[in-house]
Amino acid sequence: MFQTISIVAFAVTFGCMVLNCVISPCKECWRHPLRKLVHLFTLLFIEQKLSPVGVLRKVVYLLAMLCFVILAVTGFYPTIILGEHISGYLVMVHATFAPIFAICLAILAVMWARRCRFAYSDWPWFQRTVQRVTLVKSAGEQAQCESSGLGQKITFWLIIFLALPLILSIILSMFPLFGTHWQELLLSTHRYTALVFALVVIVHTYLVIRTKMQE
Amino acid sequence: MLLLCFSAATVCFANEAVGANADQKKLGDESDGSRAHPTHLIPLFYENDNGEKGEKITPDDELLLPFSTRWTCGECHSYGIIGKGWHFNATDPNVAPGRPGQPWILADARTGTQIPLSYRRWPGTFKPEQLGLTPRAFTKLFGRHTPGGGAGELETEDPDEIMRQFISGKLEINCLSCHNAHPGQNQGGMGGYAVQIARENFRWAAAGACEFASVSGSATDMPETYDPFMPEPVRDKIPPTISYREDAFDRENQVFFDILREVPAHRCYFCHSNLYLDKKHAEKWSSDEDVHLKAGLTCVDCHRNGIDHKIIRGYESEDTVLRNPLVATSSCEGCHLGDKYSSSPVAGRLGAPVPEHPGIPPVHFEKLTCTACHSGPWPSQKTHLTKTSRAHRLGTLNVNKSHDVLPHIISPVFAKQPNGKITPHKLLWPAFWGSLKGQDVTPIALEIVRQTAGKVIAKEKLPLSGNWPALTAEHITEVLTLLSSQKSIKGEPVYISGGKLYSLDDSAKLCEEEHQSAKPYLWPIGHNVRPAAQSLGVRYCTDCHATDAPFFFGDVTVDSPIVAAREAKKMIEFQGISPSYAWAFAFSFVFRPFMKFICLGSCAVLAGVLLLYALKLLACVAKALTERD
Repeated sequence: MFQTISIVAFAVTFGCMVLNCVISPCKECWRHPLRKLVHLFTLLFIEQKLSPVGVLRKVVYLLAMLCFVILAVTGFYPTIILGEHISGYLVMVHATFAPIFAICLAILAVMWARRCRFAYSDWPWFQRTVQRVTLVKSAGEQAQCESSGLGQKITFWLIIFLALPLILSIILSMFPLFGTHWQELLLSTHRYTALVFALVVIVHTYLVIRTKMQE
Repeated sequence: MLLLCFSAATVCFANEAVGANADQKKLGDESDGSRAHPTHLIPLFYENDNGEKGEKITPDDELLLPFSTRWTCGECHSYGIIGKGWHFNATDPNVAPGRPGQPWILADARTGTQIPLSYRRWPGTFKPEQLGLTPRAFTKLFGRHTPGGGAGELETEDPDEIMRQFISGKLEINCLSCHNAHPGQNQGGMGGYAVQIARENFRWAAAGACEFASVSGSATDMPETYDPFMPEPVRDKIPPTISYREDAFDRENQVFFDILREVPAHRCYFCHSNLYLDKKHAEKWSSDEDVHLKAGLTCVDCHRNGIDHKIIRGYESEDTVLRNPLVATSSCEGCHLGDKYSSSPVAGRLGAPVPEHPGIPPVHFEKLTCTACHSGPWPSQKTHLTKTSRAHRLGTLNVNKSHDVLPHIISPVFAKQPNGKITPHKLLWPAFWGSLKGQDVTPIALEIVRQTAGKVIAKEKLPLSGNWPALTAEHITEVLTLLSSQKSIKGEPVYISGGKLYSLDDSAKLCEEEHQSAKPYLWPIGHNVRPAAQSLGVRYCTDCHATDAPFFFGDVTVDSPIVAAREAKKMIEFQGISPSYAWAFAFSFVFRPFMKFICLGSCAVLAGVLLLYALKLLACVAKALTERD
């Protein structure tokens, strides 16, 4: 069941991203594709202009991405490809990188939260609705167009939000608190949350890459 | 022609009559529903020299014969149906063997032999006839810890044994072994059941063991011309003779049997006792019984059967080999967790608590049986030598109480079962002389071994403890050379011991190799079940997942008469798991508390950030609403 849902979910997500590329193509990306790819690759390096906090932020982000890839592969490979539960060395690798990922998420949450907070400019339609309901003129700047970072912001907050049940479901199962039935429920929660979490991370990464390519 | 037709018709009708008789239920085959104990005040019958029902026994009989359970108990209970029960059907090749169980073990220190035997098709066991044991010889050796029937009732095919079987009679099913509630039932004491069987007094064994009769004399001592139905004095020997207690018979020459339908646990214990030779708990008083017994249950509360005596053994998947309506709900899971396919709730039968297993990841229930954590002795760094009633004659006369006495049964060994689950086992390293043909090793008949190996090993001092003599490679070489000269042995003589096969190469030099036939025989441990508070994992995961935890890394003794071959294997070698993986996984538990701490800390930060910005959002909403006012 989970195997089927996972395959469908991943297929739909990747399909949507391809569709998005087709419907709303990134013209900048295709103008100098090689240069863009090189540019994308250089993003993996730490720029000299960055402040120590900026360096930390980038290192943590890159480390989080690495951990995510490892966790996703070790977690989904046995379930999707082999059709069995995660076991053996894969569990050990999974459990080794999980706490590192959790720390990275916590640091990123602290460092990015302010940058990713929603502004009125992100939601012009919402702002208009609020104005109509409250009959108050906007206190903030009037947004002229839809913010391009809205998708990233939404996915960021979804990642932070989903991380909680994702981590807690597996950590709590390690304490002698829940019986077999609840253990199974916690495992299912971990499994399905991980699926949604992975999809959100993929979308988030896609949006980040798309934004960077357009710069 | 007419005569022939008439004869055929007669046979036909006779067969129908027999069939009808077999199908007909007797008085005691079916309960009327009363849970009260029926009173068994009944006449005694003996079996005559033709194997048919004899006369009613009275104390005034000129020749007192032992009562026959077939004809006495069989008056009201279908002996033929009972005879197909699990305790009596081992010799029936059509019976599904089920999960491997405890074998009979033929142990002989003088020939370096310790071999698992069974009439059932349990992989790793050998048929008694492969060692030259006839059913009669088998019964004489092991009948002491059987309730009769089975091999004891087989007609001998050996011409030399026909007269001896006539003298000793057959070992009928001894209903009283299990169902007699009277404390005078004497299974292993002086003149009891075991003694009668050792004396080949098979016909007298059941009667001799009960509280109102005693048997003297020995069928072994009788000449082949002796007729127990027309006995004549034998010089200097006492023929088997029975005497009934005077007050056993009432005015109508009936006898009262104190029969219990529900067999008391101490009756089961006669054949099913275990003694784990742990330094702390080697005495009965210092070790606890099974928690179920202490909770007030008896063995037969779970191991149930009907008149067919097809008793529930109580393991998972037993329902594939046993048609018993209660089999699915009588295993550990069946009672404690219930049958998920049942239309009505069945968990908690007999007051069984439904376990919560808090903090135990569900994968444990896929990889382990219930007994892995709950049964047998708590695992220690080294396995224990273990004694069992059947292997070590426990409860009978003149038992060697030394801890080292053969056979050497080793437990608990946590090994993988064919169904892929790890479960605690008892283990026996087979040691025997055999002949190798292709890849198959067949044991050499014990008589031949005694004449060859016996002579060589006789030069060595046998320990009084009953332990192995200290053999060397030279002994093995010498015996193998002697066996090679035996023309009756077909194939290459080999010695199996300690998991290895020893043979002579072309230059008559001893060489050893791992071999399928040398693999140990293991059978699962069901009891004693420990209380939940003493189950594995109750303290922490490191009960098993530690780099030195006995569950994975305990030493399993490799037992062998060859001193140089006595070593140890790691438990994990029996589990089909990579040792390096198990070690690495166990080592990871050192960091488990840190992982929990880090993850919970990260969650706290994430929750803090979420809460902070949720409050900010609330503040925005509040501000907007305030500006409206």
